[in-house]
Amino acid sequence: MALALPALLCLASGLALVSAGWSWRGPFASDLTLRASLAVGYGLGIFSVVFFLARAFGVSNFVVVDVATLSLLLAVFFLLRNHATRSGTFRKPAEALDLPRWLQRVLAVAFIVSLCAALYAAVMRTLGHPHGDGWDAFSIWNLHARFLYRGGAHWRDGFSTLIPWSHPDYPLLLPGAIAHFWSYLGSDEPAVPGVIGLLFTFSTVGLLVSALSVLRGRASAMLGGLALLTTPFFIELGSSQYADVPLSFFFLATVTLLCLHDQSGDATASGQRGLLVLAGLGAGFAAWTKNEGLLFLCAIVAARVRVFFRPERSGEADPRGPAQRLSDRAISVAILLVAVAPAFLLIVWFKHSIAPPGDLFSDPATAFHKLIDPTRFLAILKWYGKGFLRFGHWLLLPGTLLLPALYFATGVKPTRNFGPGFRSSRLALVLTLCGYFAIYLITPYDIYWHLRFSLTRLFLHLWPSTIFLFFLTFRRAIGSVADSR
Amino acid sequence: MQQVSRPPLARLTIATLLFVLGCLLSILRVVRDAPRPGYPSTDDVSKRSDQRFAALKAALPSRGIVGYVGDSSDPVADYYLAQYALAPLVIDRSSDHALVIGNFPASLHASVEHLQLVTDFGNGVVLFANKDAR
Repeated sequence: MALALPALLCLASGLALVSAGWSWRGPFASDLTLRASLAVGYGLGIFSVVFFLARAFGVSNFVVVDVATLSLLLAVFFLLRNHATRSGTFRKPAEALDLPRWLQRVLAVAFIVSLCAALYAAVMRTLGHPHGDGWDAFSIWNLHARFLYRGGAHWRDGFSTLIPWSHPDYPLLLPGAIAHFWSYLGSDEPAVPGVIGLLFTFSTVGLLVSALSVLRGRASAMLGGLALLTTPFFIELGSSQYADVPLSFFFLATVTLLCLHDQSGDATASGQRGLLVLAGLGAGFAAWTKNEGLLFLCAIVAARVRVFFRPERSGEADPRGPAQRLSDRAISVAILLVAVAPAFLLIVWFKHSIAPPGDLFSDPATAFHKLIDPTRFLAILKWYGKGFLRFGHWLLLPGTLLLPALYFATGVKPTRNFGPGFRSSRLALVLTLCGYFAIYLITPYDIYWHLRFSLTRLFLHLWPSTIFLFFLTFRRAIGSVADSR
Repeated sequence: MQQVSRPPLARLTIATLLFVLGCLLSILRVVRDAPRPGYPSTDDVSKRSDQRFAALKAALPSRGIVGYVGDSSDPVADYYLAQYALAPLVIDRSSDHALVIGNFPASLHASVEHLQLVTDFGNGVVLFANKDAR
């Protein structure tokens, strides 16, 4: 019961933030799942930032701070509500994959079976490993949470260089959220990080399925959900109390919101800009989760700017003149920059004033030599190739092969005309993957050790977003399969 | 919305069924690798950290920095498990502190040169003093 109040405040804060930026209504079930999934992650993000700032400014009455935060978010929501209702409703999508009814039932059963199996496995793993499953859980994330909670006014002690392998330069979304709940409980109950891990895992699934359902219909949503739920490593890592699945959640949130923004009617309407703001906040939360998120944040901004400078290739007629188009694009980039700015500034302050320097860029001269060493390129490429097929710990058939197999086997010819949200998301994921490659090139650690212990997790960061973008490429076929029956 | 050519129904059906079957194979691994209900927890983090250092923790200051010496087959993990248990105390892997924790899971009675035994908590957990610490 002691958890009920913080859980309520956390979820309500997330829901208020998401609803403030929400400007359209989709099909009820998908809309509700989409908002609820986003609200869980964004609520935990808010909880983390609020806790960190409260600690930094010496505030110890968290109930007052949380109620004030929620009130502020509700005020913003009510102020923007009129705008949002004017922005119209989302068109119900035609099924991109128009399957016979019996096959839709088979798909639904397979999805439900997979969901139940994944829930069972994740809960059992969480119960079996109350302090997390693996080194990073106790030596990084939960250790930082303990310093934030137990340290009180001396919480900065946890960011000492005397504990180097705890990576004191890592951002604090997960430790901050955990410590916030512990403050309400009055003890560092290990169930809290376990439950937060489960919430992020299944919110990622909910977000993927509901966003695909809204944009491409039920069949694509079920297939996408199935691809994610049957990735054993996603379930393993989601219940390990690591920050990788929360990071993948915020990657996916950013990508889905950018794509929803594209396809929610008049994307330039003021009400639709809320989706861009939420996308920017998602990228900001990603950066506050792990250092890799900072790379993603830079990638999404760079990708958005590139799309801004590149003419749209959409086949649909655009009634706006060139000047208006340019102005709309400039505004959309500006909104994204404003939305990522708070998290970016918070991270700059944390890295500059609290955390010691990270280990990756400790020796620039050596790093430069490594950057031009072809043997390192080859080694990483080899591991990327192996990791592509193995990272999900699939049984016999890798999901990374099943998706292209589905693409070729169905014979659906995808369109090449994608909106700026899709194109910038796709480019951002590619840039992030290239960034990971560059980090391996310059790593101060033994390259094989580093690849061995992190590559699969880095691939998993991008996996939910990749599944989402993959199924977005399926568009409705001319006519309907139902017509031919 | 962009319209594209319609794939044949049979091809679409077979492709979807094969995709579903391919996915369902892996769900077997998800379930197979999960801990079984009723089995005791396989987790030893609590045993090697919170439970192991509970008595020592009560004897240490609530904050500050203490030293650490240890000897085991998994020394780095044992050090971090000690740090995890004793946070917000900062544990430095050095004996150059007035108070030094000894962590010897493999040997029950440990001694270290230049360090004076303060308390032996048993099970290889000891507290030393270092009078020469800077």
